[in-house]
Amino acid sequence: MDESLIIKLDNIIKRYEMGENQVLALDDISLEIKKNEYVAIMGPSGSGKTTLMSIIGCLDTPSSGTYYLDGENVEVMDDNELADVRNRKIGFVFQTFNLLPRENCIKNVELPLIYAGVKADQREELAIQALKNVGLEDRMFHKPPELSGGQRQRVAVARALVNNPSIILADEPTGNLDTKTGDEIMKLFHKLWQSGHTIILVTHEEDIALNAKRIIRLRDGKIIDDYVNTHQILIEDQKNI
Amino acid sequence: MEKLLDTIRQAFDSIRTQKLRAFLTILSIVIGVFAIMFAGSLVSSINSTINQQLSALGENTFYITRMPSINIGGGHQGRLYWMRPHLDIRQFQKFATRMQDVAIVTAITGSSGFVVKAGNLSTDPDVSLVGTDDKYFLTSNQEILEGRALTPTDIQYNRKVAIIGNDIIVKIFPRENPIGKEIRINNRPFTVIGILKPQGALMGQSQDNQIIIPVNLFLINFASRWEQDLTFVVRSPDKISLSSTIDEAVGNLRIIRNLKPYELNNFELETNESLSEQFASLTGYLSYFGVFSGVIALLSAGIGITNIMYISVKERTREIGIRKAVGATKRWIVFHFIFETVVITTLGGIFGIIVGFGFSAAFGLILGTKITLSVQWTLISLIVSIALGLISGVFPAWRAASLNPVDALRYE
Repeated sequence: MDESLIIKLDNIIKRYEMGENQVLALDDISLEIKKNEYVAIMGPSGSGKTTLMSIIGCLDTPSSGTYYLDGENVEVMDDNELADVRNRKIGFVFQTFNLLPRENCIKNVELPLIYAGVKADQREELAIQALKNVGLEDRMFHKPPELSGGQRQRVAVARALVNNPSIILADEPTGNLDTKTGDEIMKLFHKLWQSGHTIILVTHEEDIALNAKRIIRLRDGKIIDDYVNTHQILIEDQKNI
Repeated sequence: MEKLLDTIRQAFDSIRTQKLRAFLTILSIVIGVFAIMFAGSLVSSINSTINQQLSALGENTFYITRMPSINIGGGHQGRLYWMRPHLDIRQFQKFATRMQDVAIVTAITGSSGFVVKAGNLSTDPDVSLVGTDDKYFLTSNQEILEGRALTPTDIQYNRKVAIIGNDIIVKIFPRENPIGKEIRINNRPFTVIGILKPQGALMGQSQDNQIIIPVNLFLINFASRWEQDLTFVVRSPDKISLSSTIDEAVGNLRIIRNLKPYELNNFELETNESLSEQFASLTGYLSYFGVFSGVIALLSAGIGITNIMYISVKERTREIGIRKAVGATKRWIVFHFIFETVVITTLGGIFGIIVGFGFSAAFGLILGTKITLSVQWTLISLIVSIALGLISGVFPAWRAASLNPVDALRYE
């Protein structure tokens, strides 16, 4: 297998049982994503993009098909192994931030490290470093309710980064933010991409998707389009001139 | 190990953030454990006190009474006891004559609620009066501190003499030596001839609020027709002759009470051993009752805890989703919730033990009984609390761990 491939989906099908009916959320998806790609997965609601994200993020398993994440065959794993893969290889950023409201920023960012079995003092060091990387060094001891939406999302990004995962999986990361704060978060993602991270962005907003280098469009559980984002390259070129 | 410490820390964190809920849960365990502890230490204290007191009476002594001293049940058997004729003073005189070569024999009767006066000082109406004869101090563990005991002539001529306990002296002879002074028991005059050696309290009852007078005077002055019932006390010279003395006493009493050979004894015979057995069965009932109510309380506490932990899991669905998303395994979530439950129940158990022991100690202080912290009951309480946490934590923990992370993250 290609060394630079980080995600390889082959003929992924995901069915949901809804009473008598079967819903085909993903219909024969095959997809490859290389290391340090910046991909946006787009589509209207009901297109299957959230299901695809859950499968890529190992939160859910496909009904059939194979999935290799960073060279590991995921679809044969049990619950505990999946938890371990999520812990080591995936950093999640959610629309609703999903922070623990009663714990301060450091404790929130430490969370993945606890399950990775990192020692307490080392954990705090790594968490502080990650919070510095997202520019929150002066808010480290605040709890999420005391922070603005943009700050909370940056805590979530720090948490996603702290375990040094293979991919960062962001599900509508700007959905609960105003345009200006959203742009700041997108700049942060851009910076992370430049420093070598693989980023997968799930969104339905065109202008957010335009930040990515590659855009995959879904409709009715199928990939209908997969192309390089020339718009973004155009902007880059203009900057370089 | 690191993971274990983290789980412990997290469990305490979530308890801290849910203070009221944790407090109420802990309280329900405290009550159950308290019941067990309280019953346990009370019963063992009562037992040890009774045994101590009974053994002080000496093992060569036995008692003959109309009815058993502890009569649990009643019913037909109870009515039969009540139909037995009294052990009256005439029977005692015959009995004493027949037994005089074999053993020391005395009769005791008594009643309480008497007022004793001297000059214009008076006791509360709570003095116990004991009617007995000159052999009393040879068969009981009571002693004369000062003055003299009853003599055969006191008994023979029904002299109005009394031996009084320390509580009475404190109240009506605060400044003078009572010997030779006159007292009035329910307004009948008696002369003080001796002072009882103070004994302290037994089961909350002072043993020193007591007056001893000749048995006949008691029967004439203070007992109604229906209260002419005596307890015969027989002290055999040594342990070896005890059983032959018992045989002789039973035989003599059957003759005195005109029992036909085919009739059963219409009196009871009690040795220290049989008395302490009867007490043990009584305290046994007490401890069963305490443990039973404790178990019931703990059972409902357990159901309550399961319920509360289940609600807690429901409320923390999102938190569980987050934890699972960032890598918490099923095992970890199960352990986390069971451990949280065990911490709560164990804290409850420890508080329950403290409160239970505190109450027993306070109770013991009131009763004047020494309370010992029963290691056995403490251990039982602790183990039960931990087991309760394990059992009631399993179901909610399993629910938490089985949540699908995708659904849990979307839970509002």
